[in-house]
Amino acid sequence: MKNCITVMIAVLLLLALPLAVFAGGQGEQGEQVEQGEQAAEKDPIKLGGVWPLADITGDQGSKAAQLAVEEINANGGVLGRQLELSVIDSELKPEKGRSAIERLATVEDVDIFVGGMSSGVHLGQIPSLKKYEKVTMWTGAASSKAEEAVGPDADWYFHLHPWDYTQGQSYVDGWGDISEKYPEIKVSDWFLAYEDGAFGTGSFQASQNLYTELGEMTGESFKSAATGGGDYTAVLEHAKEYGPEVFIWAGYDADALPMLETAKAIDFAPPIYLGAPPGWPQGFGESPLSNYVMLYGMWAPSMNSVSGVSKHFYEAYTGKYDGEPQTYFAPLSYSAIYILKEGIERAGTLEKEALIEALENTEYDSPLGQTIGFSPSNIIQHQGIWGQKILQWQNGKREVIWPFEYQTAEPVYPFPGWDER
Amino acid sequence: MSKYIKTIVMAAVAVLAVAFPFYTGAYPQSIAQSVLTYMILAVSWDMLLRTGQISFGIAGFFGIGSYAAVLSMLYLNLPPMLTILIGGIIAGAIAGLLGIAVLRLRGMYFAIVTLAVAEIFRIIMTNLKGFTGGPEGELLPQLIFQGNPYLTYYLMFGMAVLTIIISEIFLRSRVHYALTAIRNDEIVARSSGVNIFKYLVIIFIVTSVIQGMTGGINAQTYGFVTPESSFSLDYTLLPLAMALLGGIYGTMGPVVGALLLGIVSEYLKLYIPYGHLVIYGIIVVIVILYMPQGIVGLAARIRKAGARNE
Repeated sequence: MKNCITVMIAVLLLLALPLAVFAGGQGEQGEQVEQGEQAAEKDPIKLGGVWPLADITGDQGSKAAQLAVEEINANGGVLGRQLELSVIDSELKPEKGRSAIERLATVEDVDIFVGGMSSGVHLGQIPSLKKYEKVTMWTGAASSKAEEAVGPDADWYFHLHPWDYTQGQSYVDGWGDISEKYPEIKVSDWFLAYEDGAFGTGSFQASQNLYTELGEMTGESFKSAATGGGDYTAVLEHAKEYGPEVFIWAGYDADALPMLETAKAIDFAPPIYLGAPPGWPQGFGESPLSNYVMLYGMWAPSMNSVSGVSKHFYEAYTGKYDGEPQTYFAPLSYSAIYILKEGIERAGTLEKEALIEALENTEYDSPLGQTIGFSPSNIIQHQGIWGQKILQWQNGKREVIWPFEYQTAEPVYPFPGWDER
Repeated sequence: MSKYIKTIVMAAVAVLAVAFPFYTGAYPQSIAQSVLTYMILAVSWDMLLRTGQISFGIAGFFGIGSYAAVLSMLYLNLPPMLTILIGGIIAGAIAGLLGIAVLRLRGMYFAIVTLAVAEIFRIIMTNLKGFTGGPEGELLPQLIFQGNPYLTYYLMFGMAVLTIIISEIFLRSRVHYALTAIRNDEIVARSSGVNIFKYLVIIFIVTSVIQGMTGGINAQTYGFVTPESSFSLDYTLLPLAMALLGGIYGTMGPVVGALLLGIVSEYLKLYIPYGHLVIYGIIVVIVILYMPQGIVGLAARIRKAGARNE
């Protein structure tokens, strides 16, 4: 009986614990209401960021956003006020992502939401974002389902990352431009090796429609090393037998090197070997196998040679943190903060309607190369970036091949045979 | 005296839990929703464990219930509450058919089959693009109760209370003795006239219905399903860790484990944003290594030691 009572009391304390642990900010919120306007004007402008911090995209994205905040504050802040960034981990889980939004809105009392990675997490967050209708500058989520969930009426919602259909179209445009400029590069026969999860299967299903503009596409699934697989012999043998002009794989970073090892072992060297994982493994460029592998992405350190903003970002990031940015989510998140800063300055206020109008007039020269502005996509009112870039690993560096205005190197074609290396 | 204390403590727990949305804000409510979800899954996992059968199929039945609820609403235009029930029924029906086929397996053989359930259904949902939305999943036109956080909390809370009641009924009925007999010595149980197969199928169906309904509530609360999030391995691994932490073979252990891990993980995240998952993992490993009977078991051990000293 005593045991039962002890446990019951423990449950009682646990139920009451949220009062002490999580609801501490509620009082602060109430106190803030009582503060005078003058005091409020001196308060920092609060930005609430949600990223998956255990993932390299969220880790580097949040750190780059913090870097931008510190730079802005060092230069006097915005409208005479400092920026304050509160970051909460989404853990790549929809329910955690939603809780983070709820905390930022009700406990931290942020003025603006920023950040984001993963469509699945974002789908869980969208109902909460719609509840608060605060100005939101979102860096992640490519799935057009997320666009559908946001809907056409959310004028407070600004989305930076390309949607799946816009980035798919950018690949088609890119390969079209490349084959026009370099007629020796053939892109009419495609073989897509895709991991059997949602990411790979989705890529295959989307590509089958998109790439018809370029030519034939076939594909086969494989079990990714990231989900317990890692044997690529069958899929690569079938690809070799098919003999495509472009071999593309959609899997995870864990597949990148083992798949190249297998390709080398079976002597499979297609004219174009293209990888489309969400991120590349640390040190991938240091492997001689990586040379001349092509990839999609929004940014690479090589862009420092064609963009002064990219160079500034890169030097500031490497000066503050260990290692260089490995993912485009770093310059993307950095850009998100600067876009907000410029928008608030143009608006001259944090008042929502004025801020939305100011953000609609954004023309931000970003470290990603392009000048970012907002225009309507299929459903939402404010879409920032429409496509990705085509890059190639060359001697350990990711060089931009397309768009040609940001080109940092000529493409190496065809992918050299394994005996020529 | 102790009976009165127990009643008072139980009443206080009930009042605090029922009044929870009124003395906390939207953020604690969303945490509570998540904790309740995992609590239900942990208790239901433990109910099957009492037979000696380990299931890794929680995420599978949770995902089946989620998809059944969303698809039945989209295609049949059924009311949300009915779709939740349908989620449970379909999960239970699949468990019944599967159980008849595989419940003669024991130990790891059964565990691996249940693990495969989640994977098989995840792949089916991913590839039936025309029906399930494929890898991108499906959206609901609106959330249950129009997203009212109070009502969604009470819906999940009600499901948790129902699960706890079912678990307690099983612990206090003939079923409990049958299940315990099966776990302790199957041959003796069989020779005592216990219809092992019947009880295993019943408990497998009941726990799967609970998991399916929980998936249905979750999908109706968030308004979407995707193969990756609805069949996430988290829905198998976290309830398992919670039950082990709190203590297995009873209702109280998984309840305490879910409350503790749910709150501790959120607390750690707020104070150690970079690296909290490492600390969380270390805590779980240490507790499971050094407290194999869980928190409830440890409390019982302390009580017995105290009684011996007296």
